[in-house]
Amino acid sequence: MLKWYEQIVPDGDVVISSRVRLARNLEDYMFSPLLKESDAVKLVDEVKKMTPALANQDKRKYYSCNIRSLSDIDKAAMVERHIVSPLLVDKEQTTGLILSDDETVSIMINEEDHVRIQAIVGGMNLEEAYEIANRIDDIAYDSLKFAYDEKYGYMTSCPTNSGTGMRASCMMFLPALSSARMIQKLIEEVGRYGVTIRGIYGEGTKSLGSIYQISNQKTLGNSEREIIQNLNRIVDQVMKQERKRREYMLSLNSDEIEDQVYRAYGILKYARQISSDDAMTLLSQLKFGADCGLIKFDREFNIHKMMMGVQPGSLQWTLGKNVGSATRDKSRAEYISKELPTIV
Amino acid sequence: MLCDRCKLREAKVLYTEIINGAKTEQHLCEECATDYTSFQMENPLLNTDMTLNSLLSTLLGAYQTNTTNKSGETQGDLVCERCKTTYDEFLKRGRFGCAQCYRSFNKVLGKTLRGIQGAQEHTGKRPKGFLSTTDRIIKDMSETERLTLELQKAIEREEFENAARLRDMIRQLKKEEANNA
Repeated sequence: MLKWYEQIVPDGDVVISSRVRLARNLEDYMFSPLLKESDAVKLVDEVKKMTPALANQDKRKYYSCNIRSLSDIDKAAMVERHIVSPLLVDKEQTTGLILSDDETVSIMINEEDHVRIQAIVGGMNLEEAYEIANRIDDIAYDSLKFAYDEKYGYMTSCPTNSGTGMRASCMMFLPALSSARMIQKLIEEVGRYGVTIRGIYGEGTKSLGSIYQISNQKTLGNSEREIIQNLNRIVDQVMKQERKRREYMLSLNSDEIEDQVYRAYGILKYARQISSDDAMTLLSQLKFGADCGLIKFDREFNIHKMMMGVQPGSLQWTLGKNVGSATRDKSRAEYISKELPTIV
Repeated sequence: MLCDRCKLREAKVLYTEIINGAKTEQHLCEECATDYTSFQMENPLLNTDMTLNSLLSTLLGAYQTNTTNKSGETQGDLVCERCKTTYDEFLKRGRFGCAQCYRSFNKVLGKTLRGIQGAQEHTGKRPKGFLSTTDRIIKDMSETERLTLELQKAIEREEFENAARLRDMIRQLKKEEANNA
């Protein structure tokens, strides 16, 4: 089965992936700020027990582990691939993970909430991401007593998540809007509709390669479907604006842009060492060129997969060892050169 | 420029606070900023979560001050009987201590939630088999009472055919009840 970042998906020129995360807590345990380490161990064990039930009721294969048992490289690579949050791997207490073989479903145990169910799919498809997360939530509820109140909904550790406990988000590739410096304005505009835009790895992180996360701000008062419909409408609008801006840019400077795209390809294909930030910028230019049909390859490939592959953690994960930054820059250049298809 | 609080280290953060419309500005060094405002400098990925946290507790605190002023009571002394978190601690931390906290702070929580979420009641998913208070009342009702409720709903929705059918069913049931008695 192809992973979400290996598929060629509709609207993939602007929307890289859609993700839904459901926050749940168990009635019988203290919430994260007051949870004792001995109870954290119990909690992780109790939640991990549902792994066989998931495998039985879902077509995917599931694995579980304690985060502590993972190497630093594994952890970094998983954060870069959005399987786990930085908080989960940095927490001193025992934390756990259940992960599906196709990396679509991940369940974080003892993050800010006891259980965080996440489903991620390629392209613009929040409905499917929600369907998957919702099903996993139902299966989990068979064995876990989630804290739920008819007035407050799912009771979460932080009041900004209570109610549905749902955060839906789309990862968007916005090179034209960001080069026109329109992101700030966009943030203000979508804010009025209860939607936020952030950098690629969450709150406040810088945006790498013109990739942004756009997500719902409020979790209480509207149903899951309403939240998704609202976000869909906005993502759709942003997508239209980005495409319009791309056309406009091309109509003005098509020669310059074409030159930039081919230069990016040249450097990526033939450089002998390259930093991850440089690689991200160039891959972003290449993706832009490919999406606009300025450059064609002898086979289809997902540039976003490579964008994750060049991150320090994922790269060392592919290499199978921990290496210093100089060696890493060399290995990164080799990796890109090997993976990059030929131009036709 | 030196830090306004410790007056020892170089100020690196301009911290603006607006409380009830009164604006104060402070130039702080990293250390004082960390203590005073929950700014964390070292880890950029976690840093933001902390910023959000302090922002949230400031926000929560602002609602709290408002409610206290109006009613003249101290709600900060409310305490969760299960985890012993006080309402003040909840505001400071921006996090609940356990599920029971929601129920313990029920009286004052609505306002706080409306402030940050724009709503105070959940309308989304219910876990499988969850019975709300209304569900439970309906479950305990007699057949006639349940049908009467449905009849009212049908009239509200202007489904008059359905309403007529329900009305007949209720009549029939009442007749049977009378006969049985």
